[in-house]
Amino acid sequence: MSACTHRWSMTNIRQGYLVVEGCFECGARSSFFSTEVTPPIDEYQEGKHFWIHLGNYQAVKFDLRCGLCGKTVGLDDMMGLMLSTCQDPDCEVARLAKREGPGAWVYVALCADSTHRAGRCVSQEGIEALNQYFNENIKAPGKKIIVVPCRMCSSIDKCRGIIIADTGLTDLDAQVLPSQRQRQRG
Amino acid sequence: MKVKELADKLGLRAINTHKDKDVEGVYISDMVSDIITGAKANCVLITLQTHKSLIAAANLVDVAMIVFVKGKNPASDVVELATKAEIGLFVSEADTWTFARKLAELGLK
Repeated sequence: MSACTHRWSMTNIRQGYLVVEGCFECGARSSFFSTEVTPPIDEYQEGKHFWIHLGNYQAVKFDLRCGLCGKTVGLDDMMGLMLSTCQDPDCEVARLAKREGPGAWVYVALCADSTHRAGRCVSQEGIEALNQYFNENIKAPGKKIIVVPCRMCSSIDKCRGIIIADTGLTDLDAQVLPSQRQRQRG
Repeated sequence: MKVKELADKLGLRAINTHKDKDVEGVYISDMVSDIITGAKANCVLITLQTHKSLIAAANLVDVAMIVFVKGKNPASDVVELATKAEIGLFVSEADTWTFARKLAELGLK
């Protein structure tokens, strides 16, 4: 275990697009980050999934590097951050926000696969580094940022929140996940 | 410089109740993903963007105040979230460049 107390800063900041795809067979959602000038909009089969393109959103990715020990924590597995506004009593994220009180703000780190069927999500090391990074820079007394992995949500496709992504920024309605937007319209 | 002093000197219109925090820098952006990699704690954020996502990003990096230029006004749910986050919201009739020059003249960088 490292004895370093870590002082994180952002490194390897990349500008690009968050490409979101959905499987029309099972409703799963998947996303990846593309740095291509024109992001791909392919439709293709992958195993039992039939992926269709849902959208491209301008996005930024970054890693965290400790200025004290030089350690770098990669955040390739994080597709974005969402301020949770979930109030579902069955969701651990909502319960955490309620327990922590009004000075705490819970942000959900979103991974690429909403189903988590492959067992992957944003790494625990990444979550810990994000928590340290955002909290060490806060100056408001009593304020606390809590970053949690999206596997903690009871259902990330139903979870309510405000995604920090450059999509729908001229819309008046609160930003929601593509699957939620479809349901709201329906 | 404090939020209130800055707002008074520049004739800004406040649109929510807020804390009188220190202002220690300036960041200009209309992209929310850019704000989390560029804005620093206690900065004044200048923007045309009035979407709720802006507040989620500004809160994450602990922005002190947001100035909407060209007279833009955010919706009531945006104001409500910013108030809860204790981020001061202000409106300026100036465009981004003109407003940024005024901040520089006050010594903010």
